[in-house]
Amino acid sequence: MTDATSRITVNGRELECRAAAHLSLLRWLRDHVGALEVKYGCGEGVCGACAVLIDGQAVNSCLVLAAQIDGRAVTTSAGLGSPSGGLGRLQQAFLDRGAAQCGFCTGGMLVTAAEFAGAGEALDRRSIRDALHGNLCRCTGYQAIVDAVDDVLRDQGSSSPPAGGWT
Amino acid sequence: MYVRPFGYTRPASPLEACEHLRRDDGAKVLAGGQSLLPLVNLGLSTPSLLVDIQSLGDLHGLHLEGEQLVIGASTTHRMLERDAQVRRVAPLLAASVREVGNLRVRNRGTIGGSVAHADPAAELPMCLIVLEARYLVDNGARVRSVPAADFATGFLTTRLAPDELLTRIEVPAAGPDWGWGFQEVARRAGDFALVAAAAIARCEGTLVADLRIGLAGVAPRPVRCPTLEAAARGRSPEALPELAPLVDPDIAPSDDSFTPAHYRAHLARVLAIRAAQDAARRSLDVRAA
Repeated sequence: MTDATSRITVNGRELECRAAAHLSLLRWLRDHVGALEVKYGCGEGVCGACAVLIDGQAVNSCLVLAAQIDGRAVTTSAGLGSPSGGLGRLQQAFLDRGAAQCGFCTGGMLVTAAEFAGAGEALDRRSIRDALHGNLCRCTGYQAIVDAVDDVLRDQGSSSPPAGGWT
Repeated sequence: MYVRPFGYTRPASPLEACEHLRRDDGAKVLAGGQSLLPLVNLGLSTPSLLVDIQSLGDLHGLHLEGEQLVIGASTTHRMLERDAQVRRVAPLLAASVREVGNLRVRNRGTIGGSVAHADPAAELPMCLIVLEARYLVDNGARVRSVPAADFATGFLTTRLAPDELLTRIEVPAAGPDWGWGFQEVARRAGDFALVAAAAIARCEGTLVADLRIGLAGVAPRPVRCPTLEAAARGRSPEALPELAPLVDPDIAPSDDSFTPAHYRAHLARVLAIRAAQDAARRSLDVRAA
């Protein structure tokens, strides 16, 4: 088939995706859903600007076809807010630390950190850097980004995520 | 990222997948897509049809079967990385998989995809030839088993026929007295290796009794180092460095825009010995414990 229909939940909204089979998740999110917080950086899975969560796992949306994720739930950086509608913990920590310069990489950083923090695997800065090494910040603002993730992990003080994750 | 349009299908069985591959010359198997879709996005691959095998449940997941670890072809790198059994029976795989790509690539990318893509600098295909794994290959009518060492034939090419599907990877569990070593030099974290080395070793007394070494990035496909392996038997781990030049007969590094062949050869000698020594010392540690 050259067209595909999938049902995909985006930040809690269930949507029907009717599109050409070759449409990437990234292009569907940006051009059809209007989720402009998901950025197109390299298209090769190297930069991390297009990262989203699929069922809680971070992926490069440029390297996933929309047709491949029928029935799955996508979370973008805009979906990482608190249930009450305010900023989520990671979002707030990025704001507090000034962890965005031009902002292009920020959504991907938040999304990758959301999975990494939620897995409760690592608490030291070296591990944070390791987990974020596939997200490029061309402003080279890494220090504040690592600081922000470190703040969130320290706040928790334990390796077990709260119900609903760290976001 | 405006790609040449292609069709997409999600077959219900390996047989149906192979029929699509047989019918359509331009059909390609899609699993995690972390090697294929970058090539498609860059216009280097222009398939007419992608045959998505991710919904074939039999290919997904890993388990122990007697003395071997069985890995379904569409098992992700992340599943391998997080599995406690893998750390116990194949610690070399558990350690090396963490060096593949980044978190997001490992969440999607599959073990079968890495093997079938056959990048000569990839970590896992090298480790699988060291572990003497076997690959099961299915064309819908017949299943054959191919030793990992014979599978890749050159740069991005394998013994897979156009209508065949890699379905599972069988890894013999290393005995408890075997140690492992893994070494890699890459220009940036998460890159393909300039050169990587993997080794497993078993010591008797204080001497190496068995050693297997593999290298990636130094030939059009991953290689073993039989000359060095044979010479290492009966030596102490400390005496291995003088054998480093014995890597040379088994590698064929080439120049590229950034890295001269002689530098890759140098890395191969250094990393092979470091991996071998790590493996031998871990074996000695196990025996001492």
